[in-house]
Amino acid sequence: MRFIGKAILYLFLICTGLFLVTFPIYFFNIDMKLTSMIEPLLLKHYDRIDRDQHL
Amino acid sequence: MAVKKFKTMVNPKPIKGDKKYGELYKPGGKVRKRREWRGVGDTLYDYWRWLGILLTLGKFVAVPRNVKAMFRYRWMANYLAVPMMVDRFTQGLRGEYLRMAHEQQDLIIIDVAKLLGNIFRGDRRIGNDEEFSKINVLVDENEMTAVMMGFPNLKSTSRETPSTYVSVLLNQHAAEHYIDVAQEYGLAGDVCPMPEAEAGVSIDDDAPILGACAVQCNTTCDGSLLGNGVISRRLEKEDGIPVFQLPAPLRHKEDDVQDYAAEEIRRAIKFIEEHTGHKWDWDYYFECARRVNYATKCRNEWLDMNKTDYPQIFGGNLALYTETNYMAICGKVPEFERCDRRLMKLAEKAYKKQKMAAPEYRHRAIVWGVQSHFYMDFLVWLLNCWGIVPLTDMLSCINTEMIAETDTPENREQAYYDMAMLTEEMIMRNRTHGGYKVLLDDLFEFVEQYNADMIILWEHITCKALDGMHGLFEDKARERGIPLIWVDHQLFDPRVISRQGVRDQVNQYMRTVMQEEPLDPTLEILDDDNSW
Repeated sequence: MRFIGKAILYLFLICTGLFLVTFPIYFFNIDMKLTSMIEPLLLKHYDRIDRDQHL
Repeated sequence: MAVKKFKTMVNPKPIKGDKKYGELYKPGGKVRKRREWRGVGDTLYDYWRWLGILLTLGKFVAVPRNVKAMFRYRWMANYLAVPMMVDRFTQGLRGEYLRMAHEQQDLIIIDVAKLLGNIFRGDRRIGNDEEFSKINVLVDENEMTAVMMGFPNLKSTSRETPSTYVSVLLNQHAAEHYIDVAQEYGLAGDVCPMPEAEAGVSIDDDAPILGACAVQCNTTCDGSLLGNGVISRRLEKEDGIPVFQLPAPLRHKEDDVQDYAAEEIRRAIKFIEEHTGHKWDWDYYFECARRVNYATKCRNEWLDMNKTDYPQIFGGNLALYTETNYMAICGKVPEFERCDRRLMKLAEKAYKKQKMAAPEYRHRAIVWGVQSHFYMDFLVWLLNCWGIVPLTDMLSCINTEMIAETDTPENREQAYYDMAMLTEEMIMRNRTHGGYKVLLDDLFEFVEQYNADMIILWEHITCKALDGMHGLFEDKARERGIPLIWVDHQLFDPRVISRQGVRDQVNQYMRTVMQEEPLDPTLEILDDDNSW
């Protein structure tokens, strides 16, 4: 019983910790703000790729 | 004639959380300041679904070849914006409406992730799994996949769906590079930018190379024929992938073309059998046919609900889900049937409770014409900004008939005609071709059936099939006293008419002709030209 109680407690703490980290990312749109900074770097990279461009 | 006016309905239940959605936009920004507060329950639900989307994206990125593809294909950069697309389509939604939108959007995301995974696995540049490549049959983006309903072990793979179609949903600027490439190589600038961008992907050497063979269809217009010509030349002459041209009749309502249409379906199936070595399986065909019928039944019932005072599944989510489920899925993926059941339950629950999706319903609109793809969430804006309920749109007004679903000798013959009918009546082409009855007369029948008091008429400025009817639409609307708002756009290219340019046309009409004030004034003018 003590083992199950501890497991539930740890699970609760892990879920709470994950929530406290991820909810602000979700609500303040931090995921999109970060990915929008990656996009220009990727576009520069694509411009450097050699392509067999033709009709 | 007096102008028809729907009596405004006020939502007895207040909308929880944010109400001024325009304040979430960061002027000139690519993304929004923060996500929407929808009250505790709905915010937590949306957050839970967001975690699910991140899990889908995480699983996708965990496969090394998918990361390799991210660095190879320019259009893959648009997939950074997946969570934002869902935010755009769920703006202002609460309760069952939020849940229905997520059911639809999240399943589409999973399905596109699977499609991308399959493409990169078989792609000669990325995964180069030759055996897997051989079970792929390439199809157009805007193509009914009915001819694949009898091949359980083959995959109908559209390269254009992720490279152009979904990309523009994610990022309004996604197709600009490819449109420019196509025009640099001399392709006309006054054709539809959708096939032009698809051709641009091929010219720019940015299309994955895989598949045993390909089936192209004369989908909707001169532009799609142009694009297919460019793409098939590269496929056949350079990549060694044979292409079948499936020319479905344009006069699809005429009886005298149906034998020919069915014969073309037979030829397409024979072509696929010859090039893949797989044989047509009637058991699987009728299994898919039953799922197609179930999807049709659900869609008919949703549209019937939308004819009442309490519409439930409508707007951009109806349009996007219908396009995916009807054409790309076409009964082949059981998960969509399960999603239909969940959607039906949610819709019935909300209908019984007489729920409303916005604080007020001021107008009931039929949305007609080819919608602006770079601003597909415009329908959500119509509802939130002006209280205009987009009851149904042209692209969701597709087949309502059941097809043969039991395996008998007669039905095996009928099946070719059913597949031909589905192919002829693909989304968009079922209205843009087939005569003025399907494009013009049907619109005004829908106005009556849905008790609509407004028409939002998209004018895709390079779609010649629709532009020729401009005056006839106006005459009919005037005769019947229906306010008709023209909304010009250029489908894939916001440089020609921006999202604000689209909104301005409605804003001006609503203020000057209708003499109304917006429901949410913060949404009237938004600085979102740089936004995804």
